Amino acid sequence: MKKIFSHMILMSYILVILIPFVFVLFSSLKENNIEIVTNPWGFPSTFHFDNYVMAWNNAKIGTYFFNSFYISVVASLVTLGFGAATSYALTRMKFIKLSKFFYTFILLGLVIPTGSLLVPLYKLITDFHLYNTHLALILPYATFALPVSIYIICAFMRAIPSELEDAAMIDGLGAFGLFIKIILPISIPPLVTVFILNFLGNWNEFVMANFYLSSEHLRTLPVGMVGFRDAFNTNYAQLSAGIMFSVVPVLIIYSVLQEKIIEGVTAGSVKG
Amino acid sequence: MNKTLKNPLVYILFLLPTILLYCLFMGVPVIQAFYYGFTDWDGLNPHIFNGLENFKEAFSDSDFWFSLLNNVYFIYFSIVIQLPIILFLALLISQVKRFKAFYKTAVFIPSILSTAVIGILWGFIYEPDSGLLNQFLALFGVEKIYWLSDKNTAMISILITNAWQWTGFYIVLILAAILGIPKDLLEQAEIDGATTWKKSTQIIIPLINPIIIVVMLLSIAGAMKALDIVWVMTEGGPFGTTDVMATYMIKEAFREYQYGYGNAIAVLIFIFTLLITGIFQWITKNKERIEY
Repeated sequence: MKKIFSHMILMSYILVILIPFVFVLFSSLKENNIEIVTNPWGFPSTFHFDNYVMAWNNAKIGTYFFNSFYISVVASLVTLGFGAATSYALTRMKFIKLSKFFYTFILLGLVIPTGSLLVPLYKLITDFHLYNTHLALILPYATFALPVSIYIICAFMRAIPSELEDAAMIDGLGAFGLFIKIILPISIPPLVTVFILNFLGNWNEFVMANFYLSSEHLRTLPVGMVGFRDAFNTNYAQLSAGIMFSVVPVLIIYSVLQEKIIEGVTAGSVKG
Repeated sequence: MNKTLKNPLVYILFLLPTILLYCLFMGVPVIQAFYYGFTDWDGLNPHIFNGLENFKEAFSDSDFWFSLLNNVYFIYFSIVIQLPIILFLALLISQVKRFKAFYKTAVFIPSILSTAVIGILWGFIYEPDSGLLNQFLALFGVEKIYWLSDKNTAMISILITNAWQWTGFYIVLILAAILGIPKDLLEQAEIDGATTWKKSTQIIIPLINPIIIVVMLLSIAGAMKALDIVWVMTEGGPFGTTDVMATYMIKEAFREYQYGYGNAIAVLIFIFTLLITGIFQWITKNKERIEY
């Protein structure tokens, strides 16, 4: 009896989480603003899948989607490559004192509220003539993700038993070979976690993308959609379709890798 | 053989790219914020060193204090209102057997979505004429409320949206701690005849106290750097009533061309955040820890 009561409370909370998404899904298939306003809760009278096509082409959601995807992947790959190499050097190579210093130095980055860097970073971006280029996002994204990524990868690599390396060294592998052939393959689980977390973070980032780019064709999905919303005479059905384009990829990734994502996000934040 | 892992060339090669990026895009901006924070500068013409002038200005700038107050409002809301809800829901999930995994997965969803998208989504909900909230309230005869453009409701509307996004994230953190409590401890309590309420308040909550403190710390840090949700929903409006420190910083730097002053505010955000989280950690550190 008590359990039923618990489930009722939890289910109502889940409803509060899900209703906005259902509303957007329905709205994205409705004919126009009038149908959304007159029948906001209801099922679409007919399915207007052309909203998705219109949003993708006419509202440039396609361009924004591609920009977001490309920026997120490149920045996450840079973080992954640099982070993995640095973690290997810090945890496996025998420069203990130096490594301790650099590890602490890099983890200091976790304390810095990155939002407060927005203004000074703007100056740096313009000085380097990166303003209004995708590099203005890729480089800060890749950098800001490094401390937490290195923290996660180091925690894993530190626990690898050194017997594996010893055997490989007898076979004549050098420090570089050890990294590529032994440590990297073992470290795939945390590397996947780090890549996915950073990809999601970059995919969702709004503030830098909003202030470091000015050309419309360079915009990322979150910025493009806020612009779309603020434009005159917004077509809400198409805007809803745009939201689906942003949310659905995240939900697909989440449905496959939820355990890794939850574990990674929470582990990273507790340290930070 | 030990020499292999003492190869300085590989060591440098593996560290250098990270250190370079890190120094350039995090180190330099931090130093620049401190440097330009002490100058009078519009961002274009040569900057003039003006000592503590910007900080004096900030301390007598009522708009800045007002924005800081909104950050404090964020903290207050997340600790006084959000935290009890988080604890309650996490306890509920930990005590049900069916759908436990489903609840955990579902509540976490909003925290992995873009804040920009969530801002737009809740814009639909708060829309005065056709928004879900007003339509729902109209069923009870409540008159139209301009949620985001009325200065009395704008801030609370943002806080609710922010809570909606992050509650699930903290639920999962707390839930993991509850599920990590050794089973025999709770079973012993049940044998001794403890009710669910007693078990929760007298055993579970004291045991997960450390993680509750972490959640409070994360909420405070999050509240101090609140930015994108405010920018997407109101841009600090109406008339600056929802401005937080970070949005005020952006407006001063990019709209008023008070670039030196903007950097000084960046420094203040940095210092205030360290200060408040430091004080909080100092207060909570002295509390006794329960071992099990």
